[in-house]
Amino acid sequence: MGTDIARNGNCLAYYIGGIVIRQLRALWRNVFRRKQLDRELDEELRAYVELASAEKVRAGMAPEEAFRDACRNAGGMDQLKQGVRDVRIGVSLERLLQDLRYALRALAKTPAFTAVAVVTLALGIGANTTVFSVVDAVMLRPLPYSNPQRLVEAESSNNRTPGSVAVSYPDFFDWRAQNRTFEHLVSYHDTSFSLTGVARSVHLDGQVVSWDLLPTLGIDPELGRGFRPEEENRGSRVVLISHALWTSQFGLDKSIVGRNISLSGEVYTIVGVMPSSFRFPVDQPQNAFWTTLALDDDPSDLHPAVTNRSGHFLAVFGRLKPGVSVAQADQDLNTIAARLAKQYPDTNTKHNSVIVETELASLLGDTRTLLMVVLGAVGLVLLIACGNIANLLLARMRDRQREIAMRFALGAGRIRVVRQLVTESLVLGMAGGLAGCGLAFAGMPAALRLIGDSVPRAADAGVDLPVLGFAFCVSTLSGLIFGMIPAVIASKTDLVSTLKEAGRSDIAGHDWLRSAVIIGQVALGIVLTAGAGLLITSFLKLMHTDEGFNSDHLLTFLFETPDSRYKDARPQFYREYFEKLRALPGVQAAAGSMILPMTDNSARISFENPEHPVPEGLEPSAELNPVSPGYFHTMQVPLLDGRDFTEADDMKSPQVMVISQAFAQKYFPGEEPVGKKLKPGAGNGTPGGPPWREIVGVVGDIRHSATQREMSPAMYLPASQLPTWCCLYSVVRTSVEPHSLEPAVRQLVSSMDRDVPVTEIHTMPELLTLQLAQPRFAMALLGAFAGLALILTVVGLYGVMTYSVSRRTREIGVRLALGAQRSTVLRMVLRDAAVLVGAGMVLGVAATLASASVLKTMLYGTASRDPLVLVAVCIVVALTGLLAAYLPALRAAAINPMQALRTD
Amino acid sequence: MPTRQSDLLQGTLDLLILKALALQELHGMGISRRIAQMTNGTFDVKAGSLFPALHRMEQAGWLTSSWGESETNRRAKFYALTKPGKKQLHTESERWERISLAMATALRTT
Repeated sequence: MGTDIARNGNCLAYYIGGIVIRQLRALWRNVFRRKQLDRELDEELRAYVELASAEKVRAGMAPEEAFRDACRNAGGMDQLKQGVRDVRIGVSLERLLQDLRYALRALAKTPAFTAVAVVTLALGIGANTTVFSVVDAVMLRPLPYSNPQRLVEAESSNNRTPGSVAVSYPDFFDWRAQNRTFEHLVSYHDTSFSLTGVARSVHLDGQVVSWDLLPTLGIDPELGRGFRPEEENRGSRVVLISHALWTSQFGLDKSIVGRNISLSGEVYTIVGVMPSSFRFPVDQPQNAFWTTLALDDDPSDLHPAVTNRSGHFLAVFGRLKPGVSVAQADQDLNTIAARLAKQYPDTNTKHNSVIVETELASLLGDTRTLLMVVLGAVGLVLLIACGNIANLLLARMRDRQREIAMRFALGAGRIRVVRQLVTESLVLGMAGGLAGCGLAFAGMPAALRLIGDSVPRAADAGVDLPVLGFAFCVSTLSGLIFGMIPAVIASKTDLVSTLKEAGRSDIAGHDWLRSAVIIGQVALGIVLTAGAGLLITSFLKLMHTDEGFNSDHLLTFLFETPDSRYKDARPQFYREYFEKLRALPGVQAAAGSMILPMTDNSARISFENPEHPVPEGLEPSAELNPVSPGYFHTMQVPLLDGRDFTEADDMKSPQVMVISQAFAQKYFPGEEPVGKKLKPGAGNGTPGGPPWREIVGVVGDIRHSATQREMSPAMYLPASQLPTWCCLYSVVRTSVEPHSLEPAVRQLVSSMDRDVPVTEIHTMPELLTLQLAQPRFAMALLGAFAGLALILTVVGLYGVMTYSVSRRTREIGVRLALGAQRSTVLRMVLRDAAVLVGAGMVLGVAATLASASVLKTMLYGTASRDPLVLVAVCIVVALTGLLAAYLPALRAAAINPMQALRTD
Repeated sequence: MPTRQSDLLQGTLDLLILKALALQELHGMGISRRIAQMTNGTFDVKAGSLFPALHRMEQAGWLTSSWGESETNRRAKFYALTKPGKKQLHTESERWERISLAMATALRTT
C-alpha cells in the first residue's frame, strides 16, 4: 500500500514533469526554431489547400478556380498562418523579443537621434534620481527606532499666538503623570561636558533625558543596561555612552560598564554602551553620551530647573499607546495644558496648549517644503526633457509614416504596430535611465557636499535598491509619456493616402501638437526660472544683509566653566581670562557672550515693565543674552545711547541691563529708555528671585540668525551679574588671520584650567556659511535645474524651428522666387517662434503667480511674486528663445529659390 | 444545415478532433472530412479554427505529428493521439455525455 502511494506519487511527479518539460521544449522551439516551424506550417497549410482544391477538381471545378476557392475558404493564407502562430506557447515573449530587435535596429539606424535622446533623458533621470535618493533618505525612510510611526513630538504653545516653544520640567512631569495616551513620554535637551582624567581632556556633546529613553525608542544598549526610574532622583549620576566614545576613549574595553568617569568635574557611572548605529536625536550624530535629568536637580540651586515652571528649554517626545492617533494624543495633552494654565496662571497662561506632531514631521519642519520644491522642480526638468524627445519623435514619425503604412498593408495589426513603437520608446527610456543612474551615482558626492548638514539625515542618501526602483519607474513613465505621440499618430495613419502621396505628405494637424509641446516647455521653463530667480534674489539679499556687527576677522570658540569648580568664581575667572586674552599678540579686542549670533542658539525670557503692567502670566518676552564688558566694542555694534557694561558692574553694584534698538522702539516708543527699570525673569542666584534692573544703554540691533526675517527686541545682561549661568563663548577681533590664533588660545585656556578643552572654534564668516547652507543649496539646485530647463527648451525650440524651416523649404523658395525679401522671410520665421515663446510665457507667468506661495517659507526679504524677478526671467527666456530661432531663420532666409524648387 | 464555426461550443472542437483521431492518424484535411462525416455534415470545421486548434493541442501534448504521404502522394502532416490525448478523449467524452444528458433532461422537463 505504502509503495503503491509512493509509485503513484512518482507517476504523478513524472507526469507533471513530463508536461513541464514538453511545454518548455515547445517554448524553446517556438522562440528559437521559428524559421523551421514557419516553413513546416507553410507546407502543412499548402498541403491542406491542395487537397481541398483536388477535391473540388474531382467535383468538376476548373483547377485554378478550385485553388482560389480553397484559399478563400481557408480565410486567406497569411491570416491563417497568423492564427496558428497566435496559439503558440511563448508567443508574447517571442513578440517582445521581436519588438526589441526592431526597436534596437530602428534606433541604431539613426544614431544622432538616439544619442541626443539618451543624453537628454540621462540628464533628466539622473537629476531626478539624485534628488529622490535624498528625499528617500530624509523623508521616506522610517526613523531608526522600533515602530517609529508611534513616536510623536510635543511642544508647548499658546492658542492665541502661532508657533511653539520648549517645555518646562514641571509641565513635563505633569504631562507625564496625567496623560492617558502615551506609553512613555520623554524629555531631552542638549548639554555638553568635558571628559577629564583621560590623556587629553575632550569636549563631548550629549543629552539630558528622562529615564525611559531607551524603552521609548525600543533600542537596547550594546553593552550594559538602560537607565532605571530611580536614576532620575537627585544626586544620581549615570551615563550611557556612544559606541564612538567607547572606541575612541576606552579602546572597546568590555569592562567599561560600572566604571566611573569624570565629566566636567563630577563623577558619573557608565551603565551602558549604545550600538554604533544609535543616534538620538537623529539629527545629532555627534552625541557621545546620555545622562538622566537628575543633572537638572541641583540641590545647591535655589530654583533648580526641575521645579522651575518658567524655564522652558525641554524638547518632549513620546511613544503613543497602540491604536492611539496623533489627534487623540494632541487632545489629551491640550486638556492637561489647559488645566495647568488655570492651576498656575502666572507661569502657564502663555503655555495653555500643546502641539503634537509625528516625530518625522517635527524633525523635517520646513525642510519638507524645501525637498518637495526641489523634487517638483527636477520633475519639471524631466517633463521638459520628455517634451524635447516627443518633438524629435514627431519629426521622425514623418519619415516613418510610409514604413508604418507599409506594415499595415502587409497585414500587421494596428495594436501590433503601436506596441512596437511603444517598445521603441521604452527602450529609449531604459537606455536614458541606465545612463541617468550612472550620472546619479557619479553626482551623489557633489550633491551631498552641497547639502552638508543643512538637511537632517541627508548624509545617509545613496543610490540603493529603492532609488534604482524609482529610476526604473521614472524611465518607464517617461518612455510612455513621449512614446504616446508616435503611437497615437501611427494608430491614426491613413494607409491609402500615405502610400499614395509617397511619403511627401505631412501629418495633418501635427504642427499644433509640436507647438503645444514647445509652449508647454516654455511655460515650465518660466516657472522653474522664476523660482530659481526668486531664490537667487533672496540668497543675495541674505548674503548682503547687514548683520548689525562686523563679522570680519572675528574668531569664536567655547569652553566650559563647570559648576563643580566655578559656581562662585565665574565672574572673577572670566575677568582674568579676558584680560589675558586681550593681551595676546594679534588680538584687537575680546569679550564673551552666552548666545553667539549665527548659531542656532537662542534664549528668550519674559520681563516685567512697571509702566505697562499686564495681567500675571501675560508678560512680554524678548531675546536674552548675558555678555561680558566690551562685547559690543568687540562685535562693533554701535552704542546708541548710555553706556556699555564695565568691570564695575558686579553682584555688589546696582543690577543693570542694556537693550537693543528694536527693544527700545517696541517698548519705549518716543521715550528715553536709559534710566528706566525692568525686571527680566533671569534669576541671579540670590534669594528673592530676579532683581529689578536699570537700563544703562541702548545698542544697535544684531541679526541673530542668518535667516531671521526681522530684527527682534533683545536684552543684554552683564554676565558678571549672573554668576550661576554658564558658559560664555569667546569672541575675538584679530588683526591677523583668525585661525592662526588657535594654538595661543588653547594654550591660554589650558594654562588657566588644564581640564577644560576648547571647542567649537570657528570664524564668524564660517558660522554664516553654515547657517546659509540650506538656502544656498536650495538656490544652487533650483538654479541648476532652471539652467538645464532653459537649455532643453532652447534646444527644443531650435529643433522645432529648424524642422519647420526644412519642411517649408519649397514654400519659402516660392515666396523668394515671387520676389519676397530675405528680411521678410527672416521676420516670418522669427515671428512664428515669437508666437510660441509668447504663448508659453503667458502660461508660465500665470502658473508662476498661481504657485508662488509654495516658495514663501524659503524666501527672505523677497516677495514670492516679485515683479522684477518675473520681468527679468521673461526677458531671459525671450532672448534665449529668439536666439534659438535666429539660426533657423537665417537658414530660411538663405534658401536658394532655384534649388528649393528643383528639389522636392 | 452546416453550423457556423463560431457556434461551436468551447471545447467541442477539441473533443471532435480527439474523436476523429481515435481510430487512425489523419492530416488536417482528413480530420476536417472525418468530422463532417461523423456529424453527418452538421459541423464543417474551417481551416481558420482547425489549424490553431491542432497546434494548440499538439503543444498540450494530446497530439503528436509526423510527416507522411497523402492519398494523392503529397507530403502532408499527419496527427495522431498520444497517451495523454487518449486519456483526454476519455474524460472529455464522459464529461460531454453527462452534460448532454443533463441538458436533454432539463429541456424535456415541463
